[in-house]
Amino acid sequence: MISNFIPGLIMIITSFLLPTIPQYFRHPAMLLSVGLSALSLFNGYGTFLEWDILGLNLILYQSDSLTLPFAIIFHIAAILVIIFSWHSKNLMEHMATLAYAGSAIGALHAGDFFSLFIWWEATALTSVFIVFAGNTKAAKDAAMRYLIIQVSSGVLLLIGACLMLYQTGNHNLAVLDLKTNFGIFIFIAFGIKAAFPLLNGWLQDSYPESSVTGTVALSAFTTKLAIYALARTFPGTDSLIWIGAIMTAFPVFFAVIENDLRRVLSFSLNNQLGFMVVGIGIGTELSLNGTVAHAFVHIIYKALLFMSMGAVLYRAGTTKASELGGLYKYMPFTTIFCIIGAMSISAFPLFSGFVAKSLIMSSLGGMGMVLIYFILFFASAGVLEHSGIKIPYFAFFAHERKKKVKEAPINMLIAMGIAAFLCIAIGVFPKYLYQILPHAVEYQPYTLDHVISQLQLLVFAIIAFLFLVKFKLYPSEIRSTVLNSDWFYRKMLPGIGKPLLKKIGILTDRLYKNLGSSFKQVLSKSYKFSNLSYIKVTTPSFAGTILISILFIMLVIVLV
Amino acid sequence: MKKNDLKSMGKSFTKYILIIGALLILLDFTFHRHEYFSFAEIYGFPAFFGFVSFVFIVMLGKWLRKFLMRKEDYYDQ
Repeated sequence: MISNFIPGLIMIITSFLLPTIPQYFRHPAMLLSVGLSALSLFNGYGTFLEWDILGLNLILYQSDSLTLPFAIIFHIAAILVIIFSWHSKNLMEHMATLAYAGSAIGALHAGDFFSLFIWWEATALTSVFIVFAGNTKAAKDAAMRYLIIQVSSGVLLLIGACLMLYQTGNHNLAVLDLKTNFGIFIFIAFGIKAAFPLLNGWLQDSYPESSVTGTVALSAFTTKLAIYALARTFPGTDSLIWIGAIMTAFPVFFAVIENDLRRVLSFSLNNQLGFMVVGIGIGTELSLNGTVAHAFVHIIYKALLFMSMGAVLYRAGTTKASELGGLYKYMPFTTIFCIIGAMSISAFPLFSGFVAKSLIMSSLGGMGMVLIYFILFFASAGVLEHSGIKIPYFAFFAHERKKKVKEAPINMLIAMGIAAFLCIAIGVFPKYLYQILPHAVEYQPYTLDHVISQLQLLVFAIIAFLFLVKFKLYPSEIRSTVLNSDWFYRKMLPGIGKPLLKKIGILTDRLYKNLGSSFKQVLSKSYKFSNLSYIKVTTPSFAGTILISILFIMLVIVLV
Repeated sequence: MKKNDLKSMGKSFTKYILIIGALLILLDFTFHRHEYFSFAEIYGFPAFFGFVSFVFIVMLGKWLRKFLMRKEDYYDQ
């Protein structure tokens, strides 16, 4: 029976039961539910659960060689997040985190676009509560924007799925191309969650506003689910190579000047997704293996980096580079774990990033794509800059700190320790990672050529950093906001929209005044709405938006 | 704890990194480094590329501050 149970569903059910469980047992219960869900990893490949409803055949549980590595790492990430948040008593966040992880795992096992859509929206609706649990005004505002964008992605996916069903009579997950209209809708839906260039604003907007523990959960699932979905439906789509290359290069400049270190990590996350997207675009067995391997190791070291910054936020009260520095004396373990994460993401040999990124670089080199190869090589220096150096340097070193802080709580250290161990273990013994990749490919990352080449790049980039600091050319930390693509809907649209509304108000006013008096009384009610003094541009309430989103989804489902 | 802890750490770190950098360049002369693209096989090419990329990223980022940097409460206004 357990073999027919959708992986992740048990976690969602447990999340709803959490309020009935005494505080002391909540985390063990959460871990247990992840463990039960993880039993599905031993089920092997195949289709395990289908459901015929309204003439549609929904494939609710299927598994193959692409699903498995993502399912393994999603379970590991869920465990890390639960241990990391062991000290926390925030019930809403625990419920949201468990349900979110469960939904993401469920989504991996969907076999058709409608099932995927349901899970796609479930990840949006659960994760928004994690952002919301940041519990500041900024977090609540960011949660609203996050919800609108995430739900929009789902709506585009649904439109694509409906069009596909209408035009082809098929709605199963399959390789699509961009020559069909439904392909484009689905591509954009995935692109929003994968934070394509200009569609990325939500990521850097919302993740750093979440709580100490919330950001760790957020960093693992949504974007990698999108990478999985792209790898399944758009492998070998040429445009992804360029989209990915831009993604690797352009966030690095933003990360240089950003002051909030958790936002720096969000830019860094975006840049990492770029490497994976390039791998999908190339579409060979080697490159797809590279994408999956990269997603796998990335989830671990990115979680580790977010955990270390979470620990800093928890103890020092901020992650702003301008306020930090010198924490290595007070938080030595966190410092070491952070440096291990930083070396992993920078792809130092013997760390996990190296063995994964090599696959993508080799497939680019093998195809002779010289320009893309060097954009990614350049971006690797960028990764070292923002995640390898900036994060540990400004948080733990930079300048002496006068105010004492405590080392991170033991549960945080355990979670970081496990992640750090995995980073090194995978780096030293890559064959265990390669064994679970979708395609059987013989690959040896540790050749002398490759190791020397990578070490030269990294060591001389570090020397460049020391040189810039020595000659005071390195930009100092300044408390500031760095504009990003969310500017378009946070400033530009309201900037155009409000005067436009005003104009419309004035116009209707004039129109109204010119109308005969007999019309006046009839229109008096609508006048109230057209007169600007009655229009107040307000943010919709959180509950209201949730309600409207749910009603909208229900309406769409009924219509389908 | 000594007052100049960070400074001395920085100094010894710089020293070791420079030694490692020099060794890596010397090593490049001892064998032929195979790369996918022949121009990348020039002695010390990755080192040069890493150094220049890093400086370029930081400098361009710094310059972009002119256009992208706003006050911390920019969106609250």
